[in-house]
Amino acid sequence: MGRDLALLIPEIVVLLTAVGALVAEMLRRPRIALAVAVIGLLAATGLTLRLVGADTTVFGGSFRIDELSVWAKLILLPATVLSMLLARVDVRGTAREGTVYSLLCFATFGALVLAGAGDSMFLVLGTLLTGLATFALVAYPDTDPATEAAMKYFVFGSVTGAIMIFGLSYWFAAGGSTLLADLRVPDAMPMAVIIGLVAVVIGLGYKASLVPFHFWAPDAYEGGPLSIAAYLSVVPKIGALFALAQVVRDLPPESGWTAIIAGLAVLTMTYGYLAALVQDNVIRLLAYSSIAQSGYFLLGIVAVGSSRLALPATILFAAAYAAMNLGAFAVTAATGRVLDAFRGVGRARPLTGIAMVVFLLSLVGIPPLAGFVGKFMLFAAAIDARFTWLAVVAIANSVLSLAVYLRIVVPMYRPAEASIAAPGAWPGVVALIAFAATLVIGLAAQFFLAGPMAWTP
Amino acid sequence: MLPLVSTTLFLPLAGATLLLVLPRPSARTVHGIGIATAFLTLAFAVAMWLQGVSGAGFSQVEELRWIPAIGAAYRVGVDGISLPLVLLSAVLFMIAFIYSSSLRERPRAFVALVLLLETAAIGTFTALDGILFYVFFEVSLVSMYFMIAGWGHEDRQPAALMFFLYTLLGSLPLLLAILGLYLGSPEPTFDMRAWIENPPLEGAAAMWALVAMLITFAVKIPAVPLHTWLPAAHVQAPTVGSVILAGIMLKFGTYGLVRFALQMTPDAFREAGMVVLVLGVVSALYGAFAALAQSDLKRLVAYTSINHMGYVIVGVAVAALTLDPSVRAVALDGAVLQMFSHGLVTGALFLLVGMIQDRAHTREMGEFGGLLKTVPMLGWSFVLAAFASLGLPGLAHFPAEFQIFLATLSAAPVAVVVILGIAIIAGTFLKALREAFLGEPRQRWQAMPDLSVREWLAIGPLLVLTVAIGVAPSWVLDIIHLTTSTLVL
Repeated sequence: MGRDLALLIPEIVVLLTAVGALVAEMLRRPRIALAVAVIGLLAATGLTLRLVGADTTVFGGSFRIDELSVWAKLILLPATVLSMLLARVDVRGTAREGTVYSLLCFATFGALVLAGAGDSMFLVLGTLLTGLATFALVAYPDTDPATEAAMKYFVFGSVTGAIMIFGLSYWFAAGGSTLLADLRVPDAMPMAVIIGLVAVVIGLGYKASLVPFHFWAPDAYEGGPLSIAAYLSVVPKIGALFALAQVVRDLPPESGWTAIIAGLAVLTMTYGYLAALVQDNVIRLLAYSSIAQSGYFLLGIVAVGSSRLALPATILFAAAYAAMNLGAFAVTAATGRVLDAFRGVGRARPLTGIAMVVFLLSLVGIPPLAGFVGKFMLFAAAIDARFTWLAVVAIANSVLSLAVYLRIVVPMYRPAEASIAAPGAWPGVVALIAFAATLVIGLAAQFFLAGPMAWTP
Repeated sequence: MLPLVSTTLFLPLAGATLLLVLPRPSARTVHGIGIATAFLTLAFAVAMWLQGVSGAGFSQVEELRWIPAIGAAYRVGVDGISLPLVLLSAVLFMIAFIYSSSLRERPRAFVALVLLLETAAIGTFTALDGILFYVFFEVSLVSMYFMIAGWGHEDRQPAALMFFLYTLLGSLPLLLAILGLYLGSPEPTFDMRAWIENPPLEGAAAMWALVAMLITFAVKIPAVPLHTWLPAAHVQAPTVGSVILAGIMLKFGTYGLVRFALQMTPDAFREAGMVVLVLGVVSALYGAFAALAQSDLKRLVAYTSINHMGYVIVGVAVAALTLDPSVRAVALDGAVLQMFSHGLVTGALFLLVGMIQDRAHTREMGEFGGLLKTVPMLGWSFVLAAFASLGLPGLAHFPAEFQIFLATLSAAPVAVVVILGIAIIAGTFLKALREAFLGEPRQRWQAMPDLSVREWLAIGPLLVLTVAIGVAPSWVLDIIHLTTSTLVL
């Protein structure tokens, strides 16, 4: 028991941080709540470092301390801090500012639970935790669009959550246990395994905004505060995708789950970029782009179990994606929500312009940026798992994505019509950190790969 | 001892960084930094040249750990095929900076982009690691996109977009091929030397990898039918952009054809050699005929590039088809020298067309006449460059094309029909010379100034080198031959 708790110290710190922020908010001290949350999450990140290289489980195999869950902490906790700094601009001076920071910690806690899930009950728990906290976050501004977006998000979430729980009952029947590892038993009923998988894919696919479970995403991103959109597009998504990777690790390959995931990948990438191509609202464009990027994650997940590159690739891409996507949202926060607002930004503010171009080209996957190394590894994993055709589809989509992201880049270098304000302090800081991360992850991928590569057998 | 290759490679990048951190530099300072950096880079490239190559394999290799977890490392080095191209890049970029030193529209961003492009170009030619090669290959795309989109002519946005989409679509198959080579290696590595030494793929996998590479390089070269981006990009690109695009970036394609397709999938290439040969012949002839039909001088030069690159494809295909090492050496000598010559000659032609456009704001040859009398220096320079381009003996293209045809004659005699291209290109340039440069001078161009000092400094070295290669090609050929004669396929 003591050993189990010691391994869970980072999660416990996140939980205590959430409570601490809540207490500060009850004392009407939002700035202290922010400070507590930021320091707490950074402390949890620091405490995770000593776990790098661990590969074990706690509580009878129901929660895993492995490369996925450890790297989820190292990626998602800093990403939450950056979202929080962005959120400060959005919610400053509002009535319950501190609750936002507290809820962000709770939602991240849920995402971490998902990423380490070794038991189907943890899947449910993580989905509910992130879900409940983020519904409230989307609805926070108390405007009509925000309420509508939260409502859509909530209804969609409850239905998919219910389907997932229903499907999990099949797995319980098939394996006789809620442990994911028990699905590996050879005499498990294949049909029940597949039905359960489809239901779990619906539940987690909704969180990760995979097509066709993505309908809430553009509305929720657009209706809620921009910082929450940035957060939703990174933290719960990566948590859910890592959970999916945890799930498929234990599935017998002959059950045909790879075909389901590969099909979803094609659908998600292609639909996401095609829809992004016609958006005029930058938030919606980035929403669809983040949907499409989820499809790329599936290239790594499809190879789990058949390629040793799969997990390192997924982790590396998650780090890259978090950096570049948060960066793009931070620049958008400083610029404006419509494409026209980007007119002339590159000329008036060269550094903001360079940063945005770097984020967008990284999202396309242009070397030597982070997104390139991530996608490159994902392609390698997919080809290694004999899914060359999937890599070809992903590559075709990368070309499509260039057309999408250039829609933002091109107006940036047209002559400006209106004067352009300097970015505020926090979006500037977040963009700078994300910019540094996008370059560093691209050039120093070794740091992210050495651990996970050594880990896998 | 200074690492020569890495210094040459990263000097331009350092110059670009310096430009970006300087607070509000004047246009003079910006161009000064650009020219000084390019000059230093050229000096180091010349030092690399003097160091030379040792024959088989790669020389001047420098290695650093980068991503050992997947077998990728920073590996650079040169052989007789890449060293001339490095020198060519350093020369052409130097000239590009001299020529563009009159630019006053956002000079800092422009010079920084061109410097970035220089690092990308030298990097593409010196990289000995699959990932590193791809990184430089793609970075060049990005900087060229911004150059066309930011400093091009009237319809630059669609042209820039088409260029970026087309070539990105073209280069992604290469990524697949690189992954295939990586996963096929007995010990997963991105070391290109290992891939050359011991081609990791065979059978159908090798053929698929070759097809992917051929798509990539055919877009880049460009070969018919994947050439349609080239005229659009050239017409809209600023002059310096065209010079670099035609002079250097097209060589990425032909260089890749030799380095990757020929050296890493030799057996598949031999099997598909006839197809590539036909592709080359069609490209050369199509480019020549299309050039003949142009009235816009810039488009005309752009199409002659397709023709000249077609000869390179023919040379490489012949090298793959032949079983006789001496014929192969002749074919590759010709192909590599053709890349070098084409960079000099086409660079000069694009510069001269750009100079004409600066003065007249039009490139329609029908609107000119008698330019030899109004601007004799510019006119005679154009005549010299045009004669070089049509393959006159004593000028740069002749020794290259001669060797390609010689090898073709002994390996695949039918393909010698490609020689027709020379006649058509000759007709093309003679027509252009007659319309624009001969005849009676027109009244409206009477006040046209002749070459300025800046323009002389830009065009002079290219013309001198063109003659130097034509008269005594051995100073380049000796280096090329050291590698091609020891090439084992």
